[in-house]
Amino acid sequence: MNALAWLGGLAFFAVRWGRSSLAHAPPPGQTMAEAFKIGVQSLPVLLTISIFVGSNLALQGYNAFTPLGGQRLVGMFVALAGVRELAPLIAAAMIAAKAGTEMASQIAVMRTREQIEALEVMAVNPYWWLVTPRLYGILLVMPALTLIAVFTTLFSSFCVAVFQLGLSSSVFVEFVSKNVSMRDLLAGEVKALVFAVIICFVSCYCGFFSEKGPEGVGKATNQAVVVSCVVCVTFNYLVSQVLYG
Amino acid sequence: MLSTLAALGRFGTFAGRVAWRVLTPPWNAADFFRHTWIVSLRCLGPVVAVTFPFGMVIALQGLAIFDMFGAQRLLPSLISVAILREISPVLASVLVAAQAGSSYAAELGAMRIKEELDATEVMAVDSLRWHVAPRVAALSLACPVLNTVGNMAGLAGGFVMSVGIQGENAGVFMANLWNFTRTGDLVGGVVKTATFGLIIGLVACYHGFYATGGAAGVGKGVNDTVVRATLCFFAANYLLTSAFFGA
Repeated sequence: MNALAWLGGLAFFAVRWGRSSLAHAPPPGQTMAEAFKIGVQSLPVLLTISIFVGSNLALQGYNAFTPLGGQRLVGMFVALAGVRELAPLIAAAMIAAKAGTEMASQIAVMRTREQIEALEVMAVNPYWWLVTPRLYGILLVMPALTLIAVFTTLFSSFCVAVFQLGLSSSVFVEFVSKNVSMRDLLAGEVKALVFAVIICFVSCYCGFFSEKGPEGVGKATNQAVVVSCVVCVTFNYLVSQVLYG
Repeated sequence: MLSTLAALGRFGTFAGRVAWRVLTPPWNAADFFRHTWIVSLRCLGPVVAVTFPFGMVIALQGLAIFDMFGAQRLLPSLISVAILREISPVLASVLVAAQAGSSYAAELGAMRIKEELDATEVMAVDSLRWHVAPRVAALSLACPVLNTVGNMAGLAGGFVMSVGIQGENAGVFMANLWNFTRTGDLVGGVVKTATFGLIIGLVACYHGFYATGGAAGVGKGVNDTVVRATLCFFAANYLLTSAFFGA
């Protein structure tokens, strides 16, 4: 019941943002600054995670197919599981953890210090001022970050497959390139855009209506990352069902 | 560079001091069980809500592959191996880091900012032993428990997708479910998640314990906790996977 009320509040938040801000230009300068911040700050985390995801995929694929005598299928496994599902999803989880929590805690701190009320007093619409640059910023960088995650995953699984597991590099590359099409990459981009919208609205909503004080900030940040992850995984299933089902 | 090294050293000292207090009596058993119970309950919903759809996605994608070879009966074996070995331990730990880790960092951080931790120290109560050790131990017990729930939810998701939606035969699904799965896979999952829980607990309590700078500082600590804990246990995951299932 509480969860339903919460989702309703989120929907109202999104609608109210749309009504007040869709028709207006975003705050000048801020959008690029947010895009730069989200993109550049998340990059090292994203690269590290993608490297480990790729290496694990290769290890597990090798293990799963060895009883079948199909070690050569590792390339196919990495291509399908990594490119289609894991890389976009893990990228979204890490951006929720890095950029999403930052949005939530920044806005929650503004709520605690009554800066949001101050914006309203100055007749600046807080939805437009706070949410718009973050939304456009994350929409700008998320597809690029997802592509980077996909290629880092492929690269690291190539390294593990060839150097640790001793597979032939030409076979690996052949199976990967046979099983990844332009359509898979585009589907990943569609997912990235959906996840970007989810992460931004959920995190801003959590921060916007947080309780005041240090506990309130901590709780908002906590809630932001958990809810974004759960909603992203659910939408991942829906998007996959529509695109591949 | 130097400050990173200094922080690493401080984290190492912190981990050592906590480990000593976890291993030697007196233990704060009441808090340990209370925290385990609370964490398990609070993470239960998110873990199920994430592993169940992921099981469905594996079934969806796996079916697309195996249809090409006409080998649909291999699908349940693939699902169980993927879920038990990798998906459930990793996803359950991500959710534990996001939910429990960040709430520990927020709790301890708020206690530090309000000088409650300093107050306990003044009363000659060892705050590491009293507040931190039970939390770290609780996470490393709760993670395997949640992993087991995640295993069940993931398999159920795979079952619902392949039998309920795609119309595979339920008997064939159940008969092939455990073809490639060994006891070692389950034990490996438990060992992995216990280690991940330990890492998450230490990172989270470290960020809360040394929080500075008011409400904004707590928020930043929570933010850093989720990211760094996830990075650390993904790195540990690669090493543990190589050790258990490696070539």
